[in-house]
Amino acid sequence: MSNELEKSFVSQLKENQNIIHKICRLYTHDDDEHNDLFQEITIQLWKAFPKFRGESKFSTWAYRVALNTAITLYRKSTKSISTIEFETGRHFIPQEEYNYEEEEHIKLLYKAVHQLNDIEKALVFMYLEDKDYTEIAETLGISEVNARVKMNRIKTKLKQIINP
Amino acid sequence: MEELDLLKKDWKKNQNFREVSEKEIYTMLHKKSSSIVKLILIISVLEVAFWFLIGFLFDSEQYFKKLNNPYLVDFFNVFTIINYLVIAVFIYIFYKNYKNICVVSSTKNLMKSIIKTRKTVNYYIWYNLGMIIIGTILGFALAFNTDPNLMKLTEHNDSVFYIALIICFVSIVVMVGLFWLFYKLLYGILLKKLFKNYNELKKIDL
Repeated sequence: MSNELEKSFVSQLKENQNIIHKICRLYTHDDDEHNDLFQEITIQLWKAFPKFRGESKFSTWAYRVALNTAITLYRKSTKSISTIEFETGRHFIPQEEYNYEEEEHIKLLYKAVHQLNDIEKALVFMYLEDKDYTEIAETLGISEVNARVKMNRIKTKLKQIINP
Repeated sequence: MEELDLLKKDWKKNQNFREVSEKEIYTMLHKKSSSIVKLILIISVLEVAFWFLIGFLFDSEQYFKKLNNPYLVDFFNVFTIINYLVIAVFIYIFYKNYKNICVVSSTKNLMKSIIKTRKTVNYYIWYNLGMIIIGTILGFALAFNTDPNLMKLTEHNDSVFYIALIICFVSIVVMVGLFWLFYKLLYGILLKKLFKNYNELKKIDL
C-alpha cells in the first residue's frame, strides 16, 4: 500500500516538477540552494501527500505546499541579494529571433524580482503563472482587493528598481 | 508592454530545467526535513526535558523531610502534583497546536499556527521561571523561619539575613535575565524570517 502511494507520488511529482523548479528559481540564488529547496519542498509534499484527496489537481495542491515551504518552512536564510550576482544566464536558451536589448531588459527584470521580499515574490510568481486574484488571495490568506492593490504596488516598485 | 508581462512572456518560454529523475525523487523522500517546524519541535522537546530535569535536580523534598514538618511535606506534595498536571496539560496543548500546523493551509494561517505552537512553549518556560522565583522566595522564608541552624545564626545578627536576601534577589534577577537573553537570541535568529514575512502579510490587509 505504502509502496503504491510512493509510486503514485513520485510519478506525479516528476510530471509536475517544473512548479518546484520555478519556485526555486525565484527564491534561491545558486544551484546549491536551488537543489536544497527542491529537496525540502519534495519532503514537505510527500509528508502532506497522504492527506491529498484529489479534490483539487495535484498541481494546484503542489503550488500551495511549495510556496508555503519556500516562504515559511525553509530555513536557510536568504543571503543579502546585493552581493550575489544572480546568474540568469543559466536559464536562457538562445532564441531564434534574438533580441539583445529585450534580453538585457529581461535580465534586469529577473534581478529586480530577486530584490523583492518573500511575500512580493509569491505574488509575482502567481501572476507569472496566470493565477487569478481569487486564488492568489486564498493562497496567501489575504483579501482579494488587497492582493490587487499589492500587485499594483509591486509593479511600481519593479519599475523603480529598474529605472531608479 | 508592462514590465511584468514582458517577464511573463519570457517566464513561459524558459522552462527548461534540469530534469530530476524518479530515482532522485525516491532518494529525496527518505531524506530528513530541515524545516523550521521540525527545528521548533526538537528545541521544544529539549526545553521540556530540560525543565523536567531541573525539577529533579532541585528536589527539596529531602530538605523538607529533614525539617520534620508534616505540613511542609504535604504542601510540597500538592505542589508537585500541580506541577505534573501543568506539564501534562502543556504537552497536550503543544501536541494539539503542533498537529494543527498544516502546510496546505493559506500562508498566513500556516504562519499563525507555527507562532501559536511556539508561544505554547514560551508560556511553559515563563511558568517554570515563575515557579522558580516563587519557590525561591517561599524556600527563603521557610528556611529562615523553620531551620533551627539558620534561626540560631540570625538570632543575634540580622546582617546574615539581609546578606542572604540580597544574594537571593540578585541571583533571581541574573537568572531570569540570562534566560530572557538566551531566548531572545535563539528565537530572534530562528524566527526572524517568519515574523518578517508574517508582518509583511498583515500589512497588506491593513
